[in-house]
Amino acid sequence: MTIDWQAYRADDLWDELVTPAGQPRPGAGRLLKALAELSDDEIRERKTAAELAIRSMGITFTVYDDGAHIDREWPFDIVPRLILKREWDEVARGLRQRVRALNAFIDDVYHHRRALRDGVVPADYVLKSREYRSRCAGISPPHGVWAHVCGSDLVRDVEGKLYVLEDNLRVPSGVSYMLENRAVMKRVFPELFEHYVIHPVDDYPARLAAMLRSISPREGRSPRIVVLTPGIYNSAYFEHAYLAQEMAADLVEGPDLVVGDDDCVYMKTIDGLVRVDVIYRRIDDLFLDPNVFKPESMLGVPGLMRAWQAGNVALANAPGCGVADDKVIYTYVPDMIRYFLGEEPILANVPSYRCSEKDHRDYVLDNLQDLVVKPANESGGYGMLIGPQSTRKQRDEFTRSIRANPRNYMAQPMLKLSAAPTLAGNTMEPRHLDLRPFILSGRTTYVTTGGLTRVALRKGSTVVNSSQGGGSKDTWVVELE
Amino acid sequence: MNGTVLSRVAERVYWLGRYLERTDATARLIEVNANLIMDLPARVPLGWRPLIDITGSSAVFDQLYGAEAEANEHNVCRFLATDVRNPGSIINSIVGVRENARHVRETMPRVTFEYFNELYLFARSALVAGQSRSRRSEALEGISQRTRQLEGFLSQNMLHDAHWDMLRLGNYIERADMTTRIIDVRSADLFAGHHELEPFQHIQWFTVLRSFYAMQSYYASVREAVEPPLVLEFLFKDERLPRSYLRCLGGVQRSLRELPRSDEALEACDRAVDALQAADVQRLAGSENRAALHAFIDTCQQAVAAIHDVIVETYFDTALEAEQAAL
Repeated sequence: MTIDWQAYRADDLWDELVTPAGQPRPGAGRLLKALAELSDDEIRERKTAAELAIRSMGITFTVYDDGAHIDREWPFDIVPRLILKREWDEVARGLRQRVRALNAFIDDVYHHRRALRDGVVPADYVLKSREYRSRCAGISPPHGVWAHVCGSDLVRDVEGKLYVLEDNLRVPSGVSYMLENRAVMKRVFPELFEHYVIHPVDDYPARLAAMLRSISPREGRSPRIVVLTPGIYNSAYFEHAYLAQEMAADLVEGPDLVVGDDDCVYMKTIDGLVRVDVIYRRIDDLFLDPNVFKPESMLGVPGLMRAWQAGNVALANAPGCGVADDKVIYTYVPDMIRYFLGEEPILANVPSYRCSEKDHRDYVLDNLQDLVVKPANESGGYGMLIGPQSTRKQRDEFTRSIRANPRNYMAQPMLKLSAAPTLAGNTMEPRHLDLRPFILSGRTTYVTTGGLTRVALRKGSTVVNSSQGGGSKDTWVVELE
Repeated sequence: MNGTVLSRVAERVYWLGRYLERTDATARLIEVNANLIMDLPARVPLGWRPLIDITGSSAVFDQLYGAEAEANEHNVCRFLATDVRNPGSIINSIVGVRENARHVRETMPRVTFEYFNELYLFARSALVAGQSRSRRSEALEGISQRTRQLEGFLSQNMLHDAHWDMLRLGNYIERADMTTRIIDVRSADLFAGHHELEPFQHIQWFTVLRSFYAMQSYYASVREAVEPPLVLEFLFKDERLPRSYLRCLGGVQRSLRELPRSDEALEACDRAVDALQAADVQRLAGSENRAALHAFIDTCQQAVAAIHDVIVETYFDTALEAEQAAL
């Protein structure tokens, strides 16, 4: 039996490709038609071909399971997600605006604190944030940029409206999967590409390298760039290795680097010590420098902060930029845009409640079963309360936690994430998804065309994280001809 | 663009090369001894102890199996092949291959790691303690074959840059060392107290040649019958024999010349070559010179160890050394 789009139902959801009447959304017609022309066998073949490609390309992520580190193949769905170019242009404008404001805010936090004095963001929230680093005060990274790589998560609600769910500013990951998904799709479904003008994504590593070069402390020469990884057991190691390879940068671990008496960073090579100019670091702030942060960190480089403060090496992202990656601070981003840029936000935030404000907190505590409660500083979907799926006991626990430390929590209404047709066995079924575009900021700003679409492969689930049953789709930004 | 190699990566690749070679060589060593036994009359009380001595692991063996324990086929094969408590066992060498490969995956074609993994999985299932001679032989042959395929694959497909030079350096250092150890099988006192068996001494030489797959090569190169002095000359000094000691040192030199800052290591290499050239190895062939042969082999091994030490000193971040020793 081939796919019958008339029978496809995504009730009470916004489907990215199919209208409630079973009609294709603008731009999706040729894709749906091409898929419907395939027999079951052909679809199975494509699915198998995709799995084979992923295996042979070695696309993996690492999970920790039963005391062992296991490389899992990246779960991939063969049905692409479509976004119209004209919509994307607006989204990209909104993302640029957002990241500009975020960087202005971080720079302000570590310098004049105008926004805090003017009451745009409560000083207390900022200065007591777990991600605030007093050591960074007074430092001026090149171009005033702190968050060089930002991965913002976008979701669409039942009405089809896009929201920013969060901004990942610390060490956002996933971009290599965006690139590999496109490569897999080209191998598996080359004929689909004939029907569309699809904007390419594969210039990302070149853009990343250009951004990193633009923040090098030594001008007028080709800077040496390294990717700093926690090592092979990190879940994103594949990505670290991939990006290093694509940029022709060195993939280093903390012990590969030393800081000399001249406050410069060197890497240990068979040619001896070689000076490093730019570090694209994929380890958290607190592990960067055991002299300054966690003394027990084996991942970092003693003296690295000293070298950075002396302006002898660039760190991307800059230490301390996570202060704007706090889920409570997130609620102030629209105000930051107005304050720093004098513009109205182009992209909306998801309506949010701050538990530290009494009226908000009362509302949250009275409506826990309908809300999603998030701690300020977790990532990867951990430590959240998903109200409608929670037990009494969990809600009681959260009530206690929120009362004990209201600053650490915010809540949002349970969004019904949009969905897209996803292969489930032999049939197409709607599965929830989000989108993570990446924004690079250095001398100039660049936004990926599209981004990484993550999809919750389990029926009804809205958890898209790869560590928790999520997969991904290729994301096509297409021209409507 | 960069063209250099991180010390940590260089060290991993070097040890990967060594473990790969050691895996193959240890498998061959067991086979040589087992074949030797089959070539000799049953009444020869042939010892397995020499293999323990040759691999330089007497202390570990005695500690694990008791100093008074008789070294027999069963416990020696277990010790050398499957015993995870012996750092030099085949299974541990393969773990060493895989562990080091895991850290340097991105320096080799992507599919390579699958082959390393396959070698490990094969060894784990094929090498079982206490199995029959024929099963053991099959397993060892399978392991040797896979390591050779891997070396061939890397040679044909990996970028021949400094990573490759490091890998080959590891190969050749280990090979030089193991070549001398395999020749050392001959220096073992297998016939003590059995003078009536002196005629069978010759068989040892055939076996040693076969263990280098060098029977035909010997005839082609030396053009004489198998005579002990000529065999020694051939295995030590024939530059056309890929596993001869001299050829191994040449391989070390070639790799070093491609690498930066290699002057000191090359000097150590020159010393090893000079010592070899100065030695009259033919004279060490007779059974009366057994001790002298063993002593000469000892100096060769020390020379190789000295080259290794300079390599470590020059290129590596010594923090990793302890970890390799613990593998």
